[in-house]
Amino acid sequence: MEKTIAARTGNEAMAEAMRQINPDVCAAYPITPATEIMQIFAGFVNDGKVKTNLITVESEHSAMSACVGSAASGARTMTATSSQGLAYMHEILFIAAGIRLPIVLAEVNRNISAPINIHCDHSDTMAERDSGWIQLFSENPQEAYDAMIMAPRIAEHKDVSLPIMVTTDGFIISHGMERIELYPDAEVQKFVGEYKAPYNVLDVDHPITVGSIVLQDYTFEFKKAQHEAMKNAKRVILEVGREFAKTFGKEYGLIEAYKCDDADYITISLGSTAGTTKTAVEELRAEGIKAGLIKIRSFRPFPAEEIAAILSKAKAVAVLDRSESMSNQAGPVATEVKNGLYDAGMKVPLASYIYGLGGREIFIEDIKDVYKELKNIADGKSKPEQAKYIGLKV
Amino acid sequence: MVKKPELKTWKDIAVGGFVESGTAEYFHTGGWRSKVPVWQKQNCIQCLTCWAFCPDNSIKVVDGAKGKERAGFDYDFCKGCGICAEECPQNNKITKELKTKDASLKITPSTGSGKPGFDEKAAILFVGLKEAKDKYNIK
Ligand code: SF4
Ligand code: SF4
Repeated sequence: MEKTIAARTGNEAMAEAMRQINPDVCAAYPITPATEIMQIFAGFVNDGKVKTNLITVESEHSAMSACVGSAASGARTMTATSSQGLAYMHEILFIAAGIRLPIVLAEVNRNISAPINIHCDHSDTMAERDSGWIQLFSENPQEAYDAMIMAPRIAEHKDVSLPIMVTTDGFIISHGMERIELYPDAEVQKFVGEYKAPYNVLDVDHPITVGSIVLQDYTFEFKKAQHEAMKNAKRVILEVGREFAKTFGKEYGLIEAYKCDDADYITISLGSTAGTTKTAVEELRAEGIKAGLIKIRSFRPFPAEEIAAILSKAKAVAVLDRSESMSNQAGPVATEVKNGLYDAGMKVPLASYIYGLGGREIFIEDIKDVYKELKNIADGKSKPEQAKYIGLKV
Repeated sequence: MVKKPELKTWKDIAVGGFVESGTAEYFHTGGWRSKVPVWQKQNCIQCLTCWAFCPDNSIKVVDGAKGKERAGFDYDFCKGCGICAEECPQNNKITKELKTKDASLKITPSTGSGKPGFDEKAAILFVGLKEAKDKYNIK
């Protein structure tokens, strides 16, 4: 296959994937730093490069509502947002997931106010972790592009039928330009295939009601079905990842284990920081410290068993959270990892960190310090702390 | 007509829980009622305004000598919102007459029941549950 090597930002990469997928409907409202995705895509619509019906609405609440209507009418539907925009979609996100509509959302992770800040952290996406959406994180524009191409296949799979958000990190990925391999339109379209709607409210020969009131009779059964669909999503993400590898030559799983085979000290992070951590791991290994990284790609469904399996030989573990959950314990990622370890019957020393809120820089040295702290913990020189802030002005 | 569905297990419900149309028929909203409309046939001019306005399709209509005719209420579904009484032109006419006689009278087409001069002429009375049961035998 003839791949095109190009320089693209995360936003450009996501818009490019959307052009190639050529969804039936997009409904969107602009918000920094995701605005560009739809702005670029609107150019494709204007130039006739896609057949998409682009609906410009008056708010994100309306954007997601329009997406729900569209997807329920048998149309492949996409949108993009960030931060307050995602928060404003909140109630409709639950509805999209509850009535099992495979909407694809390009989400650019950004801090949620207050204080006001347009830069990256994961507080917006993490706040929606219980909404029932599949959530994929990307390390760089290439991963965002690839994930967007896989997203419809995962979401629309008959055993899943759930909405999916593919995320990048605000400005760091969304506006950071990198080398990227783009695939031919025809190959992408062949891979994505025809939209398989779960049902169609506009099918006049088979009139149906969607989103009806069910009260005590069925809410419980709804949730169980959703719960099982999210379990299935784990399998489907892996299946689609393997198929993607066959076609495009790069395999994606639920996590990426980087130099973990013989690692004594493992950190866990997601998004762009995983890239920074890989450099830290290389440097530490040159110093003789056996460092490893688990990058979580799929936060929902959460790969608890997969993570626990890799941590089974580690001497100490650190989880880096780019958002707060104000639980007085740890950030959301660390909490999930600890859940998984408990279920696996493991009691590896685990320190949790909060970093990068509102776009606060995280440097290779900061991450190396985390590994060194892990060594101290493993050597019994210090005890693991929880929700420790990295890079704070003190 | 659709058959009332049996309760299903989580494995058997359709994806997203969509259901065939028409199942509202089995959801008796009449139980929500806290006030009850009562039709007074003798005062009704068969304009069908109430039928057009009822949000719950609870005004029964039958084939009569001159076409469609308003019949009674469908109390399985009438949730007692009072819109029919409010919109009924007969009720509006009598309300207006009473207000012309006494400008200070606080009355609307749906609150007229029990007020002197209203009940004899109104086409729809809107009464309390107890009165509906005791006086008009509507449960
Ligand atoms: S009270 Fe409301 S629901 Fe009942 S018949 Fe009148 S308009 Fe319909
Ligand atoms: S009850 Fe009132 S609104 Fe209804 S048909 Fe009779 S006159 Fe018209």
